[in-house]
Amino acid sequence: MVLSETRAETHAESHGGADAAPGWRQRLRRRLFRRLTAPMARPLPQRRLFLLPTRFGLGWMVLVVVLLLFGINYQNSLAYGLAFWLFALGVVGLLRGWRNLLGVQMTLRLPREVFAGGEARLGVILEANRSRSALEVHAASVSACVDLTAGRGETVLALSAPRRGRQRLPMLRLQSRWPLGLVRVVAWLETAEALWVYPQPLEHKTKPHRQAGLGREEGDFAGLRRAVPGDSPTRLAWKQWSRTGVLAAKTFHVPPRRQLWLDYDACQGDPERRLSVLCARVLAHHRDGDRFGLRLPGITVPQGEGASQRRAALDALARFPPSTAARQGSPT
Amino acid sequence: MIGRRVGVRAASEPAVLADGHALGNAMLRQLFIGQCLILALHLAWLPLWLIALAAAVAGYRYLQLRGRLPRAGIALRLVAVAGLLAALWLEYGTLYGMQGLIGLLVGVYLLKLLETHDRRDARVVVLIGMVATASAFLHDQGIPMAVGALLVLAWQVQSLVWLAGAGSAARAWRETAWLLGLSAPLMVVLFVSVPRLGPLWAMPQLDRASTGLTDEIAPGDIAALSLSDARAFRARFTGREPKVAERYWRVYTLTNFDGVRWSRVTPQGLSATLTRPLEDFMREGRRSPWQEENGPSRFSAELLLEPDSRPWRPSLGTPLTTDSRQRYLADGTLEGDAPLSSRTLLTVESSGQAPAHADPAGTAFHAMLPPRGNSRTRELAERLWRESDGEARGYLERVLARFGEAPFRYTLSPPRLTSGDRVDEFLFESRAGYCTHYASAAAVMARAVGIPARIVAGFLGGERHPDGHFTVRDYDAHAWVEVWIEGGWQRLDPTAAIAPERIEQGPQAVRDGRERFLADAPFSPLHLRNLGWANPLRLVWERLEYRWQRGVIGYQRGARGELLARLAEGWQAVRAWLVDVTSGRGVGSPLVGFLALAASAVAVAWLGKRMWHRWRRDHDERVQLLALQAWLERRGLESMPGESPASHLRRLAPYAGAAGPALEECALHAERLLYAPLREAERRQRRRHLAMRVAEVRRRLRGRRA
Repeated sequence: MVLSETRAETHAESHGGADAAPGWRQRLRRRLFRRLTAPMARPLPQRRLFLLPTRFGLGWMVLVVVLLLFGINYQNSLAYGLAFWLFALGVVGLLRGWRNLLGVQMTLRLPREVFAGGEARLGVILEANRSRSALEVHAASVSACVDLTAGRGETVLALSAPRRGRQRLPMLRLQSRWPLGLVRVVAWLETAEALWVYPQPLEHKTKPHRQAGLGREEGDFAGLRRAVPGDSPTRLAWKQWSRTGVLAAKTFHVPPRRQLWLDYDACQGDPERRLSVLCARVLAHHRDGDRFGLRLPGITVPQGEGASQRRAALDALARFPPSTAARQGSPT
Repeated sequence: MIGRRVGVRAASEPAVLADGHALGNAMLRQLFIGQCLILALHLAWLPLWLIALAAAVAGYRYLQLRGRLPRAGIALRLVAVAGLLAALWLEYGTLYGMQGLIGLLVGVYLLKLLETHDRRDARVVVLIGMVATASAFLHDQGIPMAVGALLVLAWQVQSLVWLAGAGSAARAWRETAWLLGLSAPLMVVLFVSVPRLGPLWAMPQLDRASTGLTDEIAPGDIAALSLSDARAFRARFTGREPKVAERYWRVYTLTNFDGVRWSRVTPQGLSATLTRPLEDFMREGRRSPWQEENGPSRFSAELLLEPDSRPWRPSLGTPLTTDSRQRYLADGTLEGDAPLSSRTLLTVESSGQAPAHADPAGTAFHAMLPPRGNSRTRELAERLWRESDGEARGYLERVLARFGEAPFRYTLSPPRLTSGDRVDEFLFESRAGYCTHYASAAAVMARAVGIPARIVAGFLGGERHPDGHFTVRDYDAHAWVEVWIEGGWQRLDPTAAIAPERIEQGPQAVRDGRERFLADAPFSPLHLRNLGWANPLRLVWERLEYRWQRGVIGYQRGARGELLARLAEGWQAVRAWLVDVTSGRGVGSPLVGFLALAASAVAVAWLGKRMWHRWRRDHDERVQLLALQAWLERRGLESMPGESPASHLRRLAPYAGAAGPALEECALHAERLLYAPLREAERRQRRRHLAMRVAEVRRRLRGRRA
């Protein structure tokens, strides 16, 4: 579900929504990092690449010094040579590591829909003008490793989505220890985009409210639509295809089983629980092809059906401000 | 925390790791091969059972990875280290010796594989390996060692690249080549330019076997002279080179004779015995305090000395000046402060003759003989002294003439002398021996009539290489006599009387010695001397080795200054020439100007063409596609009438083998570029990708046809 920063932003931040930083420390960090972060979807500029020595790199420096002392004390030219070569290797490795990350371009593919308690599978696409090796993408506590063969690589980060509502994307760290592991070249990337996390569907423990099969027969011919892979061959409009060369599929009008309203006030429990129940019902009614509307305090989604209705309802549930929920749902 | 760590690793580890955090078999094999290479560097000097150790450790890890053995616990590792220490102690008798320490380092490096489980461990193994490689340089710094170390370095760097996440062997090796190739020039610059320091503190040194020269000789003790072809030192002369018969390298003087053996008296011993200050017998400095410089003939030799357990320094005749502080001994020999632990350069100017100054120990000291013993020799000496009317020179001539007579012969394997009166036994019974027998006898004869005499131990000769340097080997060791007559020390070589060819042509020239020569060294490359075609190769190798030793290994303070000065000089010359040429005064300036113009025109044209091609490629995909189609047509894969470029490429793809996917991609890019409304950024990117794919198609198809 892709939504850019909207009016809901102030709302979510003022309240400390799902993505709220747990403390001032994190906020300070974020502010500091903002100066260090590189933009998405543009080649990494050299001013946003940071070289940090690893522990192995420090060990390497110690090794060079030890070998140099060895060469001095034994007046041993080959030891001198080895020490100098290791030093030179360190320098060249540093440059090549830096060059490995320079100019890499990251774009994100946001997950289509995320339910609270599940995971948000964030697609990360890395592109560059030449092959790159061993790039690591870190986000919060997950990471992935990508090689850009022929300048393109792709991976998926499974972020956790613990709570309903707006969730900022964590700061992404693109780093690489290539080629020797002596230094870590790091770039921090931040995006303004955010995820809207739907409530966790909570199945109601009532018996299925209808018998299967009843009223599900397809009715009148409703028209043609462009065929997509996966359409049943019996539904393809072969005659039209032979005539026009365009493959189409026939659609039939399915009469909605029921017309109903899903009401916040009709549910029980604390606000988040009510939203979860509503979410599960939205999914169920959509599955059944029902025509439904959603009534939340202050928001009403008019009755409708199909994918767009499902989406509108889920959006409304995701965006339902927690403060309102708390005020409305408090048992009095 | 642990779960997170594992999760992170699982996501980020490269393919070399088989599971979450353990190193994969391939990586362990890689590390093991690195260990084998480093062990090979050491193997000529360390005990061979280290191979068994390496094999045992590798075997354990193999079985453990197969699941047949548990991980090596702390107990097993401790036992292994204790076993290693015990074995080294049995081998060397002590653990503090340098050999023992190196053995310990290598052994621990091998054992480390037992507890190498994750990436960090593997990197530690590589680091220890570098130290182990450097310790191999203590044994030797020759060309083979340097080449071996280069191989080791390449392998270790490649291991690190694997650890950093290389996807394939080709990628790892390519990155290694880049790293080594780019860092090599920087290394050379650092090697040449970084100032060299003297040793900062004393380190334990390797025990060196001493070379052939001894400071004590007892003629007849051992029946056969051990002939080793080990190198003692190499020398290069600036100015005049000594003739064959002038190459007497003095090292020690032996002054004390106890009736059986001649031994050296050190300056410390002399000062203690005669209760005189040490400065009377030895002084440190850069020039000889005993003798004025303007000797009759001077040689300036740059010596490349092999490491030895004693601090001796050879000099051709009497040393006059040196380029570094040395100890000048009163007997006209040189000594260093300490034994050499590695090859060292030393420049010595010397007179080429026996010292002209009197020895402060006095003439009486040099005429001492034991009160009794060797009575027949004394009788003979008195008889000859009477015959020569008490004239020293005539007497010595008579003694030498006697050696030249028939029954005396020169042999490298004389009979053993066992009696208490060895000189008598040699002069009147066996009458066969080599230089020390004759020198000893001549010195005793001289002392018997009161002429001060001493034996000089050193080297005679040396092999001259076509490029002008001399190699002096252990078998060139020689002993001769110096006698004090007419107000100076005179060289007296009895061997010259009995076997002049030894002086003229070296030890291998002696008839009797020929079969003995190098019998101790069956694999010596010097046997190649007799093979016509191989000898030039041997000489080339030795010259290369000499240059390496002198230029690289001997590159310390002095050499650095010299090289930098030469570089500066060369730069000055180039600059002067450039200034000359650019201001139009030089001889070739018109020609140079024309050449420069032509070269820059060619460069500009080439650059322009390249940029034009690039521009065309980046701005017009049609050019690329047409070029590719034309290229395909030349190979008989032309398009059919009415076929679009994309469908042409698609049609070929199934038959193109390895180029198939690239053709498909070309077709896709072509279609997108030609028909889809694209943003400029994507358009540019696709053009670039298209160019890459086109190049790939050409590469792969070309390879297929060939």
